[in-house]
Amino acid sequence: MGVLTLDILTTAAILFAVAAGLMIILGVMKLINFAHGAFLTTGGYVAYLTGAAGISPWLSIPLAGVLGMAAGLVIERVIVRPLYARPLDAILATWGLGIVIGQVITLTFGRGVQFAPSPLSGTTALFGVDYSAYRLAVALIAVLIAGALSALLSFTRFGLNARAVIMNETLARGLGIDSAKVRAITFGMGAGLACAAGALITPLLSVDPNMGLPWLVNSFMLVMISGVSFPSLLIASIVLGGAQVLVSTYVSPILGGMTIVALAALVLRFNPRGFSRA
Amino acid sequence: MSITHRTALTGCLVGLVVVAVAPFVLDTYLTNILIRTLFLAAVVMTVDILWGYVGILTFGQSAFFGIGAYACGLVFTHYGFGPGWALAALALALGAAAIVAAGTGWLAFFHGASPLYASIITLALPIVLTQLIFSGGNWTGSSSGLSGFPTYYWDLEVWFWLAGVFLVLTTTGGWLLVRSDFGRVLVAIRENEERCAYLGIPVSRIKIMLMILSAMIASVAGFGYAAFSNVVAPELAGFQLGTELLIWTALGGRATLLGPVIAAIGIDTMSSWLSGAMPFLWKLLTGIAFVVVIVLLPRGFAPLVGALWRKLRPRHAVAAPVVKLTLAPVKLMMQSNESASPPLRIEHLSRRYGSLHVLRDVNLVGNATELLGIIGPNGAGKTTLMRCISDGNERTDGKIHVNGVEIGRGSPQHVVGLGVGRSFQNTNLFDTLTVGECLKLARYRLDGARLFDRGDTVALPQPAMDILQATGLDQKLGEETRNLSHGMKRGLELAMVLAAEPSVLLLDEPTAGLTRPERMVIGKVLTRLTREFGLCIVIIEHDLDFVREISNRVVVLHQGAILMEGTVDEVVASDLVKAVYAGHTEKKAA
Amino acid sequence: MMKMRNLVLSASLSLAFGATAHAADPIKIGVPVGLSGANSVVAPSVVQAAELAVEEINAKGGVLGRKLALEIADDGSGAQGAQRAYDSLVFQKKVDAIVAMETSAARNAGLPIINRGKVPMIYTSFYEGRSCSPWMFVNAWVPEQQVAPVVDQFMGKEGAKKFFLIGSDYAFGRGMLEFTRKYIQSKGGTVVGEEYLPMDGSDWTAVISKLRSANPDALITSTAGGAPNVTLTKQLRAAGIKIPYGNLALDEGTAKTMGGDAEGIYISASYLSSLDNPANKKFLEAAKAKFGSKLETPNELSVPQYEGIHAYAAAVQKAGSTDAAKVVKELAKVSVQGPRGTITMNKQHHAPLTMYLGRVKRDGSVEVINTFPNVDPGAQCPRLPG
Repeated sequence: MGVLTLDILTTAAILFAVAAGLMIILGVMKLINFAHGAFLTTGGYVAYLTGAAGISPWLSIPLAGVLGMAAGLVIERVIVRPLYARPLDAILATWGLGIVIGQVITLTFGRGVQFAPSPLSGTTALFGVDYSAYRLAVALIAVLIAGALSALLSFTRFGLNARAVIMNETLARGLGIDSAKVRAITFGMGAGLACAAGALITPLLSVDPNMGLPWLVNSFMLVMISGVSFPSLLIASIVLGGAQVLVSTYVSPILGGMTIVALAALVLRFNPRGFSRA
Repeated sequence: MSITHRTALTGCLVGLVVVAVAPFVLDTYLTNILIRTLFLAAVVMTVDILWGYVGILTFGQSAFFGIGAYACGLVFTHYGFGPGWALAALALALGAAAIVAAGTGWLAFFHGASPLYASIITLALPIVLTQLIFSGGNWTGSSSGLSGFPTYYWDLEVWFWLAGVFLVLTTTGGWLLVRSDFGRVLVAIRENEERCAYLGIPVSRIKIMLMILSAMIASVAGFGYAAFSNVVAPELAGFQLGTELLIWTALGGRATLLGPVIAAIGIDTMSSWLSGAMPFLWKLLTGIAFVVVIVLLPRGFAPLVGALWRKLRPRHAVAAPVVKLTLAPVKLMMQSNESASPPLRIEHLSRRYGSLHVLRDVNLVGNATELLGIIGPNGAGKTTLMRCISDGNERTDGKIHVNGVEIGRGSPQHVVGLGVGRSFQNTNLFDTLTVGECLKLARYRLDGARLFDRGDTVALPQPAMDILQATGLDQKLGEETRNLSHGMKRGLELAMVLAAEPSVLLLDEPTAGLTRPERMVIGKVLTRLTREFGLCIVIIEHDLDFVREISNRVVVLHQGAILMEGTVDEVVASDLVKAVYAGHTEKKAA
Repeated sequence: MMKMRNLVLSASLSLAFGATAHAADPIKIGVPVGLSGANSVVAPSVVQAAELAVEEINAKGGVLGRKLALEIADDGSGAQGAQRAYDSLVFQKKVDAIVAMETSAARNAGLPIINRGKVPMIYTSFYEGRSCSPWMFVNAWVPEQQVAPVVDQFMGKEGAKKFFLIGSDYAFGRGMLEFTRKYIQSKGGTVVGEEYLPMDGSDWTAVISKLRSANPDALITSTAGGAPNVTLTKQLRAAGIKIPYGNLALDEGTAKTMGGDAEGIYISASYLSSLDNPANKKFLEAAKAKFGSKLETPNELSVPQYEGIHAYAAAVQKAGSTDAAKVVKELAKVSVQGPRGTITMNKQHHAPLTMYLGRVKRDGSVEVINTFPNVDPGAQCPRLPG
């Protein structure tokens, strides 16, 4: 039982960390960033490179975050800005961007699968169970990210502006908030978060040019269900992530892979607002 | 034979000739690649219909392709091989695709579903299907897929002809469909789905039917693909193939049908043809082209090609055939005069948003031959009242009967079918459709729409004719809606609503933005509608003079409840009403 | 009259040209391999092995006066990619033969194409057995040769009775574990769990949780070679699993990339880089000389590729031409002296092999525990001669 609980909690935390970047972009910009998977992959390669260069694996996470933020700011200016009025087209354009990033990665690193070293190895004992130390660390980091983001939104000026833009952009502009700047910074943050998440989870798995794809779809479904709120994203991660773990453990790991997608689609059919109270 | 039919036939024949000759001109490898590409091109055509014409961004056509492929692979591997088995497998492919498409449609296309949600569902479909294939273990071959199953080892030429003929025939059919009256309905749905619902067009049903049809075509293509290549793998049903189809459609040109087909053939052949590192460089280039196209050229490359073509071979524009108007008998409208129950009865209607009451306990009866005016200050709930009448899902409580039938939780289409017509506060039409096409659209519920060609007449009831004549629109049947003046757009909208022969007409500030003469015209028409055709018209207005001239009865709405009811003079003279409009209570006259 | 003469003239000229052109034409060997996907970890070593073999043969003047040339194609480690790769190799590049180290998914997709194109093929990867074609030969092991040593070791020396099996969900994973299960049960053991993930799956969390709750004495895995091996082992070690672990699909190269995680894993192989015979020594020296620091560790999946190309060259030499039917006759008879010893694919297109039971050490090298000479592959393709 202890193992199952830890599985659920760590899986939920990983899903949350991965989906957070997608969510803040959706919230502020009402845009689905389908390049999210490519950003994850980029972060994974940053982890691989830092490992190969002998730098401490812990550093790969902030490094990836910074790189992602810079890339995000550029991309927002060039590709995303012209598409604010066309949300469905924005999905396609960012998906195309994801393909481009994927091909650039392939041409640079080759098509093969690479591995990044894990910052923590071995197990620690928790709740009477020996559990992978790094998985637990990832879960902790995810919670910290959630805390930091919530604090950013609630206690900073930027957060206030962002929340205003989320609720009513026209009005916010009318009040003098530079919504273009808010959007740009938000996209940068979303991209940075995605890269950092990629660097975070790569030591658990592996990285290849296509690793981001399954994460993209799952994050997307989670964000659709949770709307724009960190607490409800956390809840969605736990509920759907938990369902995934349960199905994987008791039915089949293969069917487990599609639990999130199938459940999310059904929930949205009957309650288009999902879990959010917005 | 109409021009459309002639063009289609010519195109079809040209295509068939090209298909017949090609295998003898091309080398074996190219023929080999092309066979697969041709099957895929047929699927791309369905993506263009769904996305380009109807506006459904679908990632899921690959799932149906996969269903067809796996039907072939599974039956031939595990059950048997032979003409009987092949037909059975084909039937399975078609049946399974249709059922899954119907289910997907039910999930995705309910009234009020956002386009984003529909896309999400089409996204989930290939993912779920791929996972199901993975979970099939040895039966589906899981990650390896199935290969080496018995199949028809015909010559490459034969397979090329099969694939080519399939593509030419389905594309011809698709072309005829999008060029027909029904094709205009599809474009209307893409441009303004809400309005279509309020014209009584069964939008959800149309989308689901199209999805089923597209799924079946994609499934047959998948079947052929599998039978030819002798391999089925989960990638055939996957998300990445689904997005590739979208990319080809976008690059070729949305809503051009031929553009995506050609783009698919071109791009897929190129990527198979290039060897070594080039396929990846090629993919990079198509990816960049895709992003550029989406951002800068939303219509793809086809319009550029079209413009070039026109520059090289200029010819004066052939005027699109303009429809002729004929008179339709007004049976439906008159029906309400004969029935015992009033056309509109509202009982204890209320609408709440959480603790905010927008409408409280409204009771109202609308009679035939009556023009009922609804007035009240802003925020009183007038438009909400109209929304509740025209959409069964809007209200929180209460009952509404139209011609004696309760509307229940019916969708706008359903309510329109009961006899309600509604116009909107903001004119809200279909930019690229002509006046004649709009009128045909309005008659869809009653007259349907031709599937494979264009009718040249549209039957309208007298009231609609009157409006067209009064506004001069009957001389502008070939004009695109976006080129009309505001007054004419209003007139067109009214004509469209009347074309559907409602017995209850809901008008939301119909004279807003009109000049005085235009207002008089509308007024005359409305009066005539009630007197001669027995309609019950409910009209929201701010112009009290207009209301006085035309209506018999006026209801004042204030903060969601009926303040008073009476003739215009009674209401206008009332102190209570004056106070409400002024925003404060006056002392009662002693 | 003029026309007739011109016709004869041009015809004889083109014949002459054709003849000379033909003599200088290289013999093309197609190598479809998983440059992307699950096999991408081992693909570089396979390509190097092929290049080394071709270089050696060409240095001796080629075969029948013609040089060998390689055409490498990416099969994506899967069915769809293999289809494109084989189509390209057989119909576009028109190769004379295919020598392939691939996943079973890729092989199954390619077989119909080589059958249609009548191209001789040597499959150089170990696999689950029973894949048959008159055109295909296999010089790597099948379960009948590989599974017994590991299971016997666990049941005998470690006293294991309850086994847990984990695999990649495709022909190889399922085929190997099915054979393993039957073998375990025939020896009186029980299988307390059997779990699969799709070939590209990398998250083994649920599977590992099931493993823990089943509490087996030993673990035997058969994932696709390369990436799945690494992710599974990493996650097993991270979860603290320490029971005897036999990996039926692990090669030395991949073991080295796993670092310390691979320590203690039992493998059963037909090739180990530590093999002490003259052919292996010569091979390793030549490889080091050619590739220097870029050398990918020769391993169980790359050495058969080297030997396969030599086998093809020998068969062509014997047959006196590259005609497919003739070459195929000779492939069933030629013997190759390679790093793995003398190999002849004469048992229904499969080859008897010497197998070694080994245990991976901390530095990634393998310690040989037991040797089994000339293990018969069993009846793999009863309809084929041999």
